[in-house]
Amino acid sequence: MSEIIRTEHLSYVYSAGTPFENAALDDINISVEEGTFLGLIGHTGSGKSTLIQHLNGLLKPDSGKVYIGGEDIWADPKKIRRFRFKVGLVFQYPEYQLFEETVRKDISFGPRNMGLSEEEIAGRVLEAAELVGLPENYLDKSPFELSGGEKRRAAIAGVLAMRPEVLILDEPTAGLDPRGREHILGEIAEYHDRYGATIILVSHSMEDVARFADHVLIMDHGHAAMYGTTREIFRRVGELTEMGLEVPQISRIFAGLAARGIPVPESVLTVGEAKEAVLRLLREGGGV
Amino acid sequence: MLKDITFGQYYPGTSVVHRLDPRIKLILTLAYITMLFVADGMIPLAVGVGFVVLFYALARLPAKLIFKSMKPVVPIIVFTAVLNVLFIEGEPLWTFYFIKITKEGLLTAALMCVRILCLIAGSSLLTYTTSPIVLTDGLERLMRPLSAIKVPVHELAMMMTIALRFIPTLVEETGKIMSAQKARGADMESGTVIQRAKALVPILIPLFVSAFRRADELALAMECRCYHGGEGRTRMKQLSLGPQDWIAVLVVAAGFAGIVLLNLYGPPVLKL
Repeated sequence: MSEIIRTEHLSYVYSAGTPFENAALDDINISVEEGTFLGLIGHTGSGKSTLIQHLNGLLKPDSGKVYIGGEDIWADPKKIRRFRFKVGLVFQYPEYQLFEETVRKDISFGPRNMGLSEEEIAGRVLEAAELVGLPENYLDKSPFELSGGEKRRAAIAGVLAMRPEVLILDEPTAGLDPRGREHILGEIAEYHDRYGATIILVSHSMEDVARFADHVLIMDHGHAAMYGTTREIFRRVGELTEMGLEVPQISRIFAGLAARGIPVPESVLTVGEAKEAVLRLLREGGGV
Repeated sequence: MLKDITFGQYYPGTSVVHRLDPRIKLILTLAYITMLFVADGMIPLAVGVGFVVLFYALARLPAKLIFKSMKPVVPIIVFTAVLNVLFIEGEPLWTFYFIKITKEGLLTAALMCVRILCLIAGSSLLTYTTSPIVLTDGLERLMRPLSAIKVPVHELAMMMTIALRFIPTLVEETGKIMSAQKARGADMESGTVIQRAKALVPILIPLFVSAFRRADELALAMECRCYHGGEGRTRMKQLSLGPQDWIAVLVVAAGFAGIVLLNLYGPPVLKL
């Protein structure tokens, strides 16, 4: 596997030179392999949103470099749009960016900006709509007629239609009901599997990250505080709690059990895994 | 980029100028502007300049604020000056082919420039030292007599307050929408004028939609708190005039009288 994203000493300061100066990012060095599903976690104001906006060149680093697919994205500032198509970014509440008369036109906004042929655009729109589960007859409706969850899916389809190699989503499930959340997360996982795309999922839900992500990056006060596989990170319950972050409930329970000397694996990420572990324990007749 | 836009440019402080009653400040600003146009020579106008300097000093505002407020009008000033210098007939000082520079032209140009600068500095002082909300309050009180002829003064003031309140929100929203569309490859920096105007559509439509949504939500929230307009409504902060307000009125009145006297009896130098 090859490296798709690399940052070197990436730093960014808000309102430089004023009393409000605020280091949003401080010396971030990360490397992400192609096909990774990365969960990005941190408090509000920890620099998550600033970081992801650097990865597609919406923000320009004050110092340091960002490489996408081995290329320095700011080597030629005129060509920065190329990287916006390579790295698709879905903002928080993306439904507020819908603007076209029909869902179809809105989804084709990105591909059209890429300069693709009409034929290609039409195909991509259908595919993106199918991927997010929007029925074909919705495509000729006005985006403003859709329900909240459908709008969100239409907006995500607008980014998927660009078929980005890296897909970044900033809290895509915020404000949705449980069914809507499942829907969206399922679609993201589907995109990941179908195209082998790299995914960065910004989320406050540790459960969601534990279920889907294979790597986790923890941001804290503009620093990359921890970076590793999901299992490694969620094992460090103590450190995470100290930062004021949660770990998945089930991981916390198992960390607690292990600490009390019960022979269970220290790091358990999902309820399914937990079930297996408990059953194994009972079969072996050990423990309590 | 959008974050740099400051509206209302209020510069918080506790100076005596900040504490003046907004009604008095509004009236005095109008009086000051009139004063600038009454002055017909450099000497009376100097009194006007003195006023700006005095009040900025009293308000303890950093000098760079004055220059900041003047920056946008520099082109207008240059334009006015050039027109005046070139086109006013009178006693020629210097001629070059068809260009003729006259004494009257130079003097008018100088007078106009000083006037415009003082005008901007004076009215900026009002907005620097008065928060937009307080200013609206003052306006509402000053316009109250108009309600006798069925002008909805309170409603207008409320609309203005709400509009001011939502400017930063909408600016922030615009920034977000711009980023989102740029992430989908929207190109706003290049192309012909028409292409650039078209590129605004994906930003303006979501912005309008969100403005209407916010308006609906706000209206609902206000109704939930039984807001029903101005009738019988009392205020938490009552405006009242203090000694400093009367002193300010006297100072400006004295300045006004001084200018009129200088106009009539002052030395006839640098005058039109």
